[in-house]
Amino acid sequence: MVDPLLEPGAGLLDEYDAGGWYDEAFDADGSVRDAYSRIVERFRELDVDEIKRLEKLVADEFRRQGITFTVYSEEEGTERIWPMDLFPRLIAAAEWDELARGLTQRVAALNCFLADLYNGGAAAVADGVVPRWLVMSSQGFERNAMGIAVPHSAHCNVAGIDVVRDADGRYRVLEDNLRSPSGISYVVENRAAMAKACSWLFYDHAVQPTEQYGQMLRSTLESMAPGGGDDPHIVVLTPGIFNSAYFEHAFLARSMGVELVEGRDLVVDGHSVYTRTIEGLVRVDVIYRRIDDDFLDPVAFRPDSNLGVPGLLSALRAGTVTVCNALGNGVVDDKGVYPYVPELIRYYLGAEPIIDNVTTYMMWDPDQRREALGRLDELVAKPVGESGGYGVLIGPHATEQELDQARATIEAEPRDWIVQELVQLSTLPSVADDRLEPRHLDLRPFVLTGERTQVFPGGLTRVAMRRGSLIVNSSQGGGSKDTWVLAPEAP
Amino acid sequence: MRLGISYRMHFRYSEPVTECQNEVRVRPRDDDHQRVLSYRLTSQPQLQVLSVRDYWGTVVEHLGIRTPHTELELLAEATVETAPRPGPAGAPAVSALDDTGFRLDHLEFLEPSRHVDWHPGDAVEKRAAAAVAGAASVPEMVSAVAADVRGALSYEQGATEIGVSLAELLEGGAGVCQDFAHLALGMLRSVGVPARYVSGYLFAADETSANAETAEVVTVQTHAWIEVALPGSGWWALDPTNGGPVSERHVVIGCGRDYGDVPPVRGAFMGSGTAEVDAEVVIGRHVEGPPAAATSVPPRQITTIAAPPTQEWRHQQSQQQQ
Repeated sequence: MVDPLLEPGAGLLDEYDAGGWYDEAFDADGSVRDAYSRIVERFRELDVDEIKRLEKLVADEFRRQGITFTVYSEEEGTERIWPMDLFPRLIAAAEWDELARGLTQRVAALNCFLADLYNGGAAAVADGVVPRWLVMSSQGFERNAMGIAVPHSAHCNVAGIDVVRDADGRYRVLEDNLRSPSGISYVVENRAAMAKACSWLFYDHAVQPTEQYGQMLRSTLESMAPGGGDDPHIVVLTPGIFNSAYFEHAFLARSMGVELVEGRDLVVDGHSVYTRTIEGLVRVDVIYRRIDDDFLDPVAFRPDSNLGVPGLLSALRAGTVTVCNALGNGVVDDKGVYPYVPELIRYYLGAEPIIDNVTTYMMWDPDQRREALGRLDELVAKPVGESGGYGVLIGPHATEQELDQARATIEAEPRDWIVQELVQLSTLPSVADDRLEPRHLDLRPFVLTGERTQVFPGGLTRVAMRRGSLIVNSSQGGGSKDTWVLAPEAP
Repeated sequence: MRLGISYRMHFRYSEPVTECQNEVRVRPRDDDHQRVLSYRLTSQPQLQVLSVRDYWGTVVEHLGIRTPHTELELLAEATVETAPRPGPAGAPAVSALDDTGFRLDHLEFLEPSRHVDWHPGDAVEKRAAAAVAGAASVPEMVSAVAADVRGALSYEQGATEIGVSLAELLEGGAGVCQDFAHLALGMLRSVGVPARYVSGYLFAADETSANAETAEVVTVQTHAWIEVALPGSGWWALDPTNGGPVSERHVVIGCGRDYGDVPPVRGAFMGSGTAEVDAEVVIGRHVEGPPAAATSVPPRQITTIAAPPTQEWRHQQSQQQQ
């Protein structure tokens, strides 16, 4: 069907206006940036009917594969088809190398910090790099993690570091996720759907593949086996089918070729963990768990947990099994610790941070609090214990009443909040009805650490669905884009 | 004083249990005022024990059983040489509590914790503020709070359950040693005195009057008391349940923010029935070897644990992923 309002051949990008934001495909003059020249050319050749057809192809593919996500609202969870925008994000080889170096550096420092806290006498705390009271008062500081052996001191085996690009296009870290970061399955599935629906887009690009994630994760987890045994037995531990990321848990088990288990499938005997099979009990060496610390073992943690494995802590203390990610990483996900990460990089690695933080005000510091609350209408307030955009107040979008309420809440519990400068996230052309319009986006790359550290090429690009919106979280209506890391140009 | 302690825990299930995992914290610790001369933990049926020291320095023993059983008995036997613990050294001024370094060093014992749940402005804090109003030194504050706790609560077994809030405790007006300890901790912390929970044994037939003449062998329960940090002079132990000092009749297992950091037994079992746990401590002035457990004494602390409700299942699975 042809839209009569559109001239034949009217370009989807003809009236593209980046609106003063940093656009990754177009520079301030409206010229196409180098990396995007061929993609933009391809999209100029498309008309609205073709876009609609491709969108339907992709949605049908996701529906057929059962690739959905869950939105929690009140008590009920709602299943939705995974939304992917057709215009991909491209990252040039040199730019990616720099970003990957920065991510490797950050995760290395965070792993040093976790190893120091739980197994090293907390030198960084003794030396005053991070205040002791901050660590002690962190909900994520897990006293039961103390002294548990962690191979290679790799406490965080899978990190999802959320990065954004600011008004100058510079990458900055927005949030560290070192407990159970999710989203990698969508990265792989986005590429599969894109390759199926738009294979022609790939012809004139050398794009780094994504289907190797299972192999990468598997080799990372294999290196985490206690005592470094050969061919260790790995399982993926899921909370169960009602969890929003269950699809991903199943995906990971399948792509690694290992068992997907729930707590009740595992058993502890003689301080070792076994999985129940039809041939009897089989010893487990490494558990890739997607269950929160509190639910892992009802003996040591929440007694009402039916998701965990009674006695698991005893096996960890006996050193017969490795749980990945390690117990207690939540202390680093505490946004109260985030402002100290650049200092931790300097302390442990003796290097300047390659990727900066977003400018952050610590609400427990009276001077910083006064300054930040005085202009809260320009800033972003975040609860330290949440992730995924929950509880975030965006100053410029808040009412006077919401701002006053936030100020009172922060004054009452300053330890529970940080306030950050608002980052005007970068944009990319995204499909909006009959044209491409700029939409804001972020990026969650995945960093794998076992015996060595590897950054998975690309990551999950999340994109806001409405013009001007900065909310990219899929749980709050955001979409995604296939993310291409380009291979280095041939010399 | 040389004391022989035997702590017997007996788990009985209404239906056969296929699996049971426990952690126990019953081993007396070694410190400047007590020395453990012997200790062993045995079980019936026999189990493999993993012994480690936890974050708080307490020895925790993990034991699990995976064969069907309807009874499990654990027996911890210790011989301990104790010395009296000193009273407060000096009388630091109330203002010394405000020292930033002192507060930071004792942060974990100044904040509310799971079982010591007071809030600024609540009844616990108000009661504490009133109790310490005339105190000229930190030890005076502590003594005033200890006396006030004994006014607020009467000793009554079975009056409370684990998990009772301080507000409920004040309202109910009765409890056992751990309730006395928790209320004292909450009141002390709310007025800025660092205070921690101590789990241990008391060689006294009646935990409400530690100094009364006692038999050579008593059958009791584990006991709980507190320690407060005095600026400039370290920890001072006292017993809010009986208002007395912590003497050579007290044997320390370990300490933490509250009961939740040093529970004598914690466990989970797989089975459809209910469980009864009865525990008793037999303590005797040491002659040779630990005293024989008095099996004729009826169990005094019986906890019934219902099988976990299956409705929790779905709710817990819905936890947010990052």
